[in-house]
Amino acid sequence: MRGAMARAGRVAAVCLLGVSAGAQVAQASPDPLPPYAQAYEPQGVDERGMWMQSDEAERQLRDSNFVIRDEALQSYIRGIFCRTVGDERCRNVRIYLLRIPGFNATMYPNGMMTIWSGLLLRVKSEAELGAVLGHEFGHFELRHSLQGFKQLRSSTDALAWLSILAPVTTTALQVGIIGNFFAFNREQEQQADMQGLNYLASSPYPSAVAADIWDRQMAEKDATAAGRKRKVKTHHYSAGFAASHPTDLARATYLRAAAMKTGDGGDAGDASYRNGLAKWLPAFLDDQIRLNDFGGSEYLLGQLASGGWTPELLYARAELYRQRGNPRDLISASQFYQEAIDKGYAGPEAHKGLGLCLMRSQQVEPGKAALRKYLELSPSGPDAPMIAALVGK
Amino acid sequence: MIRELCIAGATSIALACSVPAYAGNTLIAPGQRVLVARSTLAVTPATEWNKLGARPGTNGEIWTMDGDDLNKITFYGGIIEGKTLFRQVDKRNRPLPKVSSTILMTDIPALLENSYRIALGTSLMSIERMEPTRFAGVDGINFTYSYIRQGEDLHRKGEARAAMIAGKLWMITYEAPQLYYFDKSLAGFRQIADSAGF
Repeated sequence: MRGAMARAGRVAAVCLLGVSAGAQVAQASPDPLPPYAQAYEPQGVDERGMWMQSDEAERQLRDSNFVIRDEALQSYIRGIFCRTVGDERCRNVRIYLLRIPGFNATMYPNGMMTIWSGLLLRVKSEAELGAVLGHEFGHFELRHSLQGFKQLRSSTDALAWLSILAPVTTTALQVGIIGNFFAFNREQEQQADMQGLNYLASSPYPSAVAADIWDRQMAEKDATAAGRKRKVKTHHYSAGFAASHPTDLARATYLRAAAMKTGDGGDAGDASYRNGLAKWLPAFLDDQIRLNDFGGSEYLLGQLASGGWTPELLYARAELYRQRGNPRDLISASQFYQEAIDKGYAGPEAHKGLGLCLMRSQQVEPGKAALRKYLELSPSGPDAPMIAALVGK
Repeated sequence: MIRELCIAGATSIALACSVPAYAGNTLIAPGQRVLVARSTLAVTPATEWNKLGARPGTNGEIWTMDGDDLNKITFYGGIIEGKTLFRQVDKRNRPLPKVSSTILMTDIPALLENSYRIALGTSLMSIERMEPTRFAGVDGINFTYSYIRQGEDLHRKGEARAAMIAGKLWMITYEAPQLYYFDKSLAGFRQIADSAGF
């Protein structure tokens, strides 16, 4: 995944192929799994060093405030991971759920996995999450960090020697070595994608969903760009010279092609995933809509509401529109708040949001009425004195 | 010997280069009325503060006692419509929210929170208390907040006073680690905020 295995000896890996990473992928078959060893011990000075760094990073992360300490959620997510890669393989992996709204998960060389809340918000089913976690576990099982570190070291060694031995005439060779490094990294990502697909294919989940994640990533990026009035870029199959990962389009294409060959089925677990995440959905949505990404957030909300607009999704959408705050947004936000209330949104904050929207839209008396309702429902809230002042109490 | 000379030379160069970084900091004397944040907002501190040469934005100014990571007062001097509270960190990929002249008083804490969440890359920030107050001679808002920066585990607290005056945002914030430093300079901040005026 993006930024995977950052810190702790995470070394992005991988090599110059001269052709696009994606062009090969359709024909590529994943490497066979190494025999699984319980309580594997790192071999050699490089791997031992990386594990030592990872162990230290894990000691720090374990106590971090960003870790979501909810045993029920942790257990649920671990269950998805174990069903994807199998009980034996998942047993020794430590999973840390982090309150970070980005789309990411990471795997460290020592078997520590982090899953960001932004990823949990974006996948739509247990199977989709399993595809991503399988990809991360693939990095671990294939020892990609170690290979990447060695590749980085040999590349920089070669560059250093070239600059000494032939400082003027070797530009093309230097560029080749640098490009080789990034291509090597992309190849590892592709291997991990295919490995994740293999896990999914042998699990109760259907592997066909793996490609859907990347389709939606492209659409979300387009929505973000459009929302920020930037040019919506064409999605390319070939990765750029210094890209660390294959493009989203390449990943969607080769994963879909591979899943079609596999032809496995199963329940993706959409409904159970919605239930499993329900408690945390409002908090994760709040983190998202505070990122000042109207287009991307609106797209995401639309995706989450594909089965219908729930009161929680309506409230989040109302907050998103109120924060952007154009006059037309305030009208829309008022309607969304009202719909959320009508559909049974439980929190008093919907009345506050409605009141503030109406006040800002010059509808002072209806706004005050909504704020009075909020004060009635939440008389001792931390902002009650300020809201009371707006109402004129 | 040659190695020692090299080290001495390198040290001299490093020292020479480091001087400009500190050159803009100035001592604010107690008891004097001073204009802040390149604006018409003026305050009268009762104790000495250090004004940092580095500004958070065009209409911003930072004062500190022990270093801006340990206690920091930030003045926002009339941020106009369409401007961010402070300098963009990554305008293309993580643009900060902008001030709107029509925002309500209760929107100011949310503006600060969202700006911090984006600039500091943290999801652990919350507004804790909001109440009406008088600020710089007008009706304003007093609020408290807390946050943890991404990659840190230090709990920081903040207190702020703000008001919208003629469509511009005026605000003074105070932030420090919750442990020891917040309480240490809180009274100093409140005295400065009380003295604010035009």
